[in-house]
Amino acid sequence: MVLTDLQPGKRATITNLSIMSELLKQRLIDMGIHEGEEVCVKCTMPFGGPVMVEVAGQCICLRRKEAACIGVE
Amino acid sequence: MSQIALFGNPNTGKTSLFNNLTGSYEYVGNWSGVTVEKKVGILRSRDAYVVDLPGVYSLHPLSRDEGVATDFLLTESFSTVLNIVDASQLKRNLHLTIQLLEFGKPLVMALNMIDVAERRGMKIDVKQLSTKLGVPVVPVIARTGKGMDELAETLRSAQQPKPLALTYDDVIETAIAKISRYLPDDIERSKRWLALQCLEGNERVYDYLRTKIELEPILAIRKQTEESIRQLPHGRSLRERLHHLRETFIEAVLEDVVVWAEKQPLTWTEKIDAIVTNKYLGMPIFLFFMYVMFMLTFDWLGSPLADLLDQFFSGPLTDTLSRLLTAMGASKFLQELVLNGIVSGVGGVLVFVPQIFILFFFISLLEDSGYMARVAMVMDRLMEAIGLNGKSFIPMIIGFGCNVPGVMAARTIEQPRERLLTILLLPLMSCSARLPVYALFVGAFFQAHQAEVVFSLYVLGIVVALLLAKLFSSTILKNEHSVFVIELPPYRMPQALTLWRSTWDKGKGFVRKAGTFIFGGSVAIWLLSYAGPKGFNVSMDDSFLAAIGGVLAPVLAPLGFGTWQAGAALLTGFLAKEVVVSTMNIIYHVKDTETLQGLMAHYFTPLSAFSFMAFVLLYVPCLATVATIRKETGSTKWTFFAIGYALVIAYIISLLIYEGGKWLGLS
Repeated sequence: MVLTDLQPGKRATITNLSIMSELLKQRLIDMGIHEGEEVCVKCTMPFGGPVMVEVAGQCICLRRKEAACIGVE
Repeated sequence: MSQIALFGNPNTGKTSLFNNLTGSYEYVGNWSGVTVEKKVGILRSRDAYVVDLPGVYSLHPLSRDEGVATDFLLTESFSTVLNIVDASQLKRNLHLTIQLLEFGKPLVMALNMIDVAERRGMKIDVKQLSTKLGVPVVPVIARTGKGMDELAETLRSAQQPKPLALTYDDVIETAIAKISRYLPDDIERSKRWLALQCLEGNERVYDYLRTKIELEPILAIRKQTEESIRQLPHGRSLRERLHHLRETFIEAVLEDVVVWAEKQPLTWTEKIDAIVTNKYLGMPIFLFFMYVMFMLTFDWLGSPLADLLDQFFSGPLTDTLSRLLTAMGASKFLQELVLNGIVSGVGGVLVFVPQIFILFFFISLLEDSGYMARVAMVMDRLMEAIGLNGKSFIPMIIGFGCNVPGVMAARTIEQPRERLLTILLLPLMSCSARLPVYALFVGAFFQAHQAEVVFSLYVLGIVVALLLAKLFSSTILKNEHSVFVIELPPYRMPQALTLWRSTWDKGKGFVRKAGTFIFGGSVAIWLLSYAGPKGFNVSMDDSFLAAIGGVLAPVLAPLGFGTWQAGAALLTGFLAKEVVVSTMNIIYHVKDTETLQGLMAHYFTPLSAFSFMAFVLLYVPCLATVATIRKETGSTKWTFFAIGYALVIAYIISLLIYEGGKWLGLS
């Protein structure tokens, strides 16, 4: 399952970042979104807008299609 | 004198710490990427320089502002690293600390935001952290300045740290050894650090090494290492592997350092976010905030204050100056220069100071509260549709204050094309210098609907920018892949002092401009209007200014303002857009805004006035903005493009407004 399948407010563990573009992957890893970390979807913007996720107490906003490249369990 | 360099993740309070250590008032805010350039100050004790650098997550830069920090490490000499660390994000922040320790200079850690960490349920053993990393750690509160004396003392006695106890896996250590052997012995930076950065794929380090040695062998070692890492069971990339090993090391360090208590229930950041980033309320709330800002600036508060100031300038000030000059026995020429040139020109602009300060106050509020990043998030969907991203919206909001820092703020945008596009479109954001022009015209022609008319101009600027963004991004600036990731910082109650400083800092530029550019411009314009081909003290219509403005008049006629006065005002407006108002004050020879507005009715109709305002909004970036665009894009071609397209679009829009309005029977 991917991050965008996760219900808002539910927690999951990141398992796979490998299908993401290199630039974005590095940025996300820098911000603390990496494999093994726990993640939680806080809210989503309308019309296919970005999603806000929380990792280790930090809120990060990224686009939905990129969130769909993050595998979680 | 020795140099101390400030490193830390974005939005951890580097500039606040810098201000407190040096007694400076540099620009601070609650979002990632406030500082985009290095800034130098002197420690309060006057024995060392402190260098403030843009925030970075790692030393491998992805955007232009981050490159500034890496370049500093590679090219400048300094004695100590001051690493500011956000205690509530300790694990993530330590990744940078490790890279800095590998660099090998003495390092002092300032542990900030312990209060935030405690609210999250973290208890940090500072002593233990210091022992485990082998560096001094000083708890501070950067916003209030607590812990500064101890920090300054620790910085003074900072020692070379013992080497970091982190060893990577065998494959990586072998590669480090190979690269280190290849590096020349006289290289000034730590070989281990350089080798590790090469393995990270750090382009800036490649550029640095290229000036000294052939890079091919290093790239070959990296490629080989990358392949070996890929074959390991987990199949990660080299960069991920490095990150993972550091993460493991950090987790081991933090095991005895951080004690987790029960996390407190919903923080107020979460509560506010539930409303302002609500799926349906987010956008309306932002628009409502903007509406209140405009109404306060133009209607409820700003206009009455500006009127008071205007009365003071045209009444008591002019009278006193006039009497003073007569008493001094000043010549008629000097009297006219001061009263008709300087007071009209400079005073005509200064009356708008209250409105501009109110606008700046709101922008500062937006920056300091933490709402800025949320705005980027709320706007991202719209920006994506036109080929930009939500981050582009932050420079644009700053551009409402002044376009120059707006252009600079675009540095945080990772994609070069998106950054260029943002810079090119930024001059379309109606900056505070254009505000006096609107205020003058709406007062004369749109008494009943001042705020609405001005608001329509701001909207016009934004709409044109969005349409052009769409046009440019689908033609000349096609983007391969757009990226948008932004950190949303916790909200903070803005402090009155910070807000005032930040407002004053922006506003003083406007006041200073009145004393320099506008002062000089006013004198020059007055002289040009005083002298003509036939000598001095000629009738205004025979002056040099009329001759110059007259050249433009026929070109401007289809737009509804084909007078030499309009031509002259627009020409001088390139210096700074407020000068348009100064010029008009001088040309129409009036002492206060009210008379000027009465007089303008002879030269403009409401329709042509609106067309004129739209033209002033769009026509060409001011001199300072042009210079900044040139510097930031590093391209003369794009600078001319920015000027050129603006002129064309301004002409088309004004023509549409005027001819369209006439067709509708509005004139």
